[in-house]
Order: sequence, then structure tokens, then C-alpha cells
Amino acid sequence: MNGLMKLADVTVKRGGATLLSGLNCDIRAGEVTVVLGPNGAGKSSLLLALAGLIPASGSIALLGKPLPDYRRRELTSHIAWQGDLPPTEFGLTVWQRLELAAGQGDRDVESTAAAMDIAALLHRPLGELSSGERQRTELAALMLRDTPLWLLDEPTAHLDLKHQIHCIQMLKSQRDKGRAIMTVLHDIQQAMAVADHLILIDGKGGAEYGEAHKLFESRKLTELFDAPLTQQGSALMPDYGDRK
Amino acid sequence: MRWFALIAAVALCLLLGLAAGEQWINPFAAGDGLEHMILWELRFPRLLTAFAVGGLLALAGAWFQVLLGNPLAEPYVLGVAGSASAGAVTGLMFMPESAWVMSAGAFIGAWIGIVAVMFFAHLGPNRMLLAGVVLAAFWSAVLALLLALLPEQGLFRAFSWMMGDLSHSDLPIPILLLAWLIALICGLILSSALDKLLLGERHAEALGVDVKKLRSSLLLLASAVTALAVTAAGTIGFVGLVIPHLMRLLFGSLHRAVLPASAIGGGLLLVLADSAARTIIAPAELPVGILTAIIGVPVFLFLLLRRTR
Repeated sequence: MNGLMKLADVTVKRGGATLLSGLNCDIRAGEVTVVLGPNGAGKSSLLLALAGLIPASGSIALLGKPLPDYRRRELTSHIAWQGDLPPTEFGLTVWQRLELAAGQGDRDVESTAAAMDIAALLHRPLGELSSGERQRTELAALMLRDTPLWLLDEPTAHLDLKHQIHCIQMLKSQRDKGRAIMTVLHDIQQAMAVADHLILIDGKGGAEYGEAHKLFESRKLTELFDAPLTQQGSALMPDYGDRK
Repeated sequence: MRWFALIAAVALCLLLGLAAGEQWINPFAAGDGLEHMILWELRFPRLLTAFAVGGLLALAGAWFQVLLGNPLAEPYVLGVAGSASAGAVTGLMFMPESAWVMSAGAFIGAWIGIVAVMFFAHLGPNRMLLAGVVLAAFWSAVLALLLALLPEQGLFRAFSWMMGDLSHSDLPIPILLLAWLIALICGLILSSALDKLLLGERHAEALGVDVKKLRSSLLLLASAVTALAVTAAGTIGFVGLVIPHLMRLLFGSLHRAVLPASAIGGGLLLVLADSAARTIIAPAELPVGILTAIIGVPVFLFLLLRRTR
């Protein structure tokens, strides 16, 4: 597997507070790394730091070169980032949103929109769409960015079950095509379905990186989320208590 | 087709502007005497000034809206009109006879306002907007103080300037038209980055835009254009608010269309408003700012209602 990004002793801070420190990991082509942790632990901030959008201390090297040494424009050919839904005030249509992601290239906006099930919405303003439709638009915008590394912040947020499954399948198929993906997920089942590696951020400054099959363990995740999980066969399930 | 309609509307409004006034004159049948002089030495230069100032205000409005991430922002939102007015009234106070000193005062005042806002630019759009609103209140207070101290004979001149006045513009027309063209070209050069900024700062940065640099250039450009427009014609409201909004409805949100359409549409609105201002109570004139407000407020409220539906 090809090493794409290497993190050594990375510390991420926001507003003076240390969110996570001492993170070491290798992001390789053809692998999915899932970031798990409680709300506010620093998952999104980690992605922002890796996308070069906020500073981090320690060493982050992309293709052997320190991230801060890249020019902003240069980074865009290596990294695509999917984050919050963009604002809708200015009346951008779905087509225009996708065009902005595709840039000057001749990537096919229409076929990508069809793949994300938004072909019928192409000429509608983003403000007229539901959150789920806007999220699918953001995923289509991501697919138009043919970069070796994708950083995704909750790609299945707002999506209905069908599109959540579609999204996870899309991530797997992109991984199989050799793309490196790091994604924040909240659903343990989705994480188990797609993760090769995990980064666990505990919200107390600690971060652990390892192979997914070693870290998917009920005691560890129960501790991480401070929430009850039970092992059912090979699956970890949230324990919602009895039906009655 | 929409572009053709816009250009045709400009041609039509320029003809109407030439014809309208205290005395209606057919531009195609004017003789060589007085009518010729009224058409080409009085009305035509004023129409060009109105067109350039309207276009500059609309461009500045479009830029401020993107800069502040708020489609309801306008060129005077950060208090530049207040500081320019305070500068103009100061000029009037010291040299009441000289229109040139008043314009110079407005220009210096506008830049003092811009520099004051620049101190808050690093705080991001929301806080900068808040700082602008507070600064605008401050400049209003300064202006009220200056008006209280202004000799009575200067008050009419001050008020007419504060409500927009194209009759005393001292800036050479070629400079205004050149500024219109340069502003439009600068806007078009930045248009792709501006489009990405519509997605928010993070998304724009992730798409390769140097947001900090873009925001500084945009603030400087929009402020300079506002300072020039306010120096040429006093404070004329609503052109910079309504036109970019309307052009987005007609031409879509991407700036390669919104900016040229606004530069032309702003000019069109001010030509129309100024022609009406010269005609309605002729031989007297209404301040053009009153008419842009009378046209602009209902249009704006209509757009606002349309947005909330």
C-alpha cells in the first residue's frame, strides 16, 4: 500500500484548548480510516488540520512534504474536504454548486449527479432542497474532485437509510479504486462496514490509531462513548434497553 | 436574450434621459442652438455620470454582499456614507463656495471610514458587519454635530448632497467611466474566487482560494469604488442593495454574469432615477437619492417576501 499522508505526534488545538495530542498514523491509498469519538472531541478539527484549513503542531507530511509547505491551490489537487452544508443565501443552484467543485475540468456533472440521485434537482436552488438532498449534492461535489485523499466529515449525516447505504457503498468502491479516505462517522455499524483503520479520539486529549479489527471491541468503545454497547455475534450494537 | 434586453433597456433609458427634463427635447430632431447645447453639454454628461455612479454602487453592493456573506448588505453598510458625509460637510464648513473642497472632503471622509473598518476586517464577516453598524452610528453622530454647527446657508447644499445629487459632480466623466471599467474588469478577474466564497470561507479555502487575501482585496476594492461614487454624487441608497439582488434573479448567482449585469443594471437604474428627478418638479430638481429609495424600497421588500416564501 502507498503511504500518502503521515502524521507524527500531531496535536490539534481549538480556542486554546488541546483537543487531541500525540497522534501518529499513516494514511495509505486504498484504505479507509474512520474517526470515532464523542461530540466535541476534535474529530472535525482533525480533518480541518489534515486539509490544511487550521494549524496543527507536530508533523503532517503529504507525499513526504510537510503540509504547511504546500500552497493552498496545490493542496486542492491532492485533498478534497467535505464538511458542513454550505450556506444557501445567494441562490446557487445544484448545477452551479457542482460546477464550482469540478473547476475548469470536463468532469461530467450530469452523470455524477445521477449517481448521487440528484439529477432531477440540478437546476433547483440549494435553498429549496431538504438537508438530505443538500448532503447528496455535497457528496456529488466530492465525487467531482478526483483527488487521491478524501477527508469526509459525517458524510451520512441527514441522509435517509437508502442513501446512507449508498454512501457507504460509494466509499467502499472508491477505496477499492485506490482512493485514501478518512471519514468521521457516528454510526458504529457503518464504521464497521467500511473501516480498515480507526482513530479513536476520547475528548480528553487522547487519540489512538490502529487496525479496525483490533479496536472494534465493546469495552473500548463503551468507554470511548461513555455509552452502553453490546456484542451481538460479530456486531457491536448500542444497548437501548428492553422493548418494554 | 436577457443580455440583449438589458443593453436595449440601457439604450432606451439613455434616450429617455436625454429627452426628459424641464423641456422635453427629441434627441433625433434637435437643432444646432440651445436644444443641442442642453442635450449634449448638460444632459448627456450628467447621464454618463449617473450611469457610471450607478454601476459603481451596484458593483460595490455585490462585493460587500459576498464579503459579508449577507445578500442584504449594501455599499454604505460599514459606515462609509456617514464618514463621507461628515467629510463633505466639514469641507462645506470651511469653504462654502467651493464644490471642489466639498468633494475632496467627501473623498477623505470616505477613506477615514474605510481605514476605521479595516481595523475590524480580521474579525470575520459577522463582527466586521457589527463594527460597521456601530461605526455608522458614530459617523451619524459626528454628522449631526457638524450640521448643528454649519451656518444656515450651507444646510440646503449639505442636505441635497446627503440625499444624492448629480448636478454638482466635479469628478471628470472619463475618470468615472474608466473607474467603472476597471472595477468591472477587477471583478471579473476575481469572479471565480468570489463564486467559491458563496459556499462559505472553509469551502472556498478547500477549493484553493486564499480567503484572507481575497477578503482584503475585496474590502479595498469595494470601499474605493464606494468612496469614488459617494464623492461624485453624494449618498445614493438602494442601488447597491437592490440591483445585485435583482441581477442574481435574472442572471443566476455566478459572478461572471452578476457583476457585468450589476454594472449595467445599476447604471440603468440611476439614469432612470436621475431623469425622473430632473423632470417631476421641473424646473426644480428632486435629490436623486429620494427616487432611488422610492423605487428601491418596494422592490427590496418584494424580493424579501419572495425570499421568505
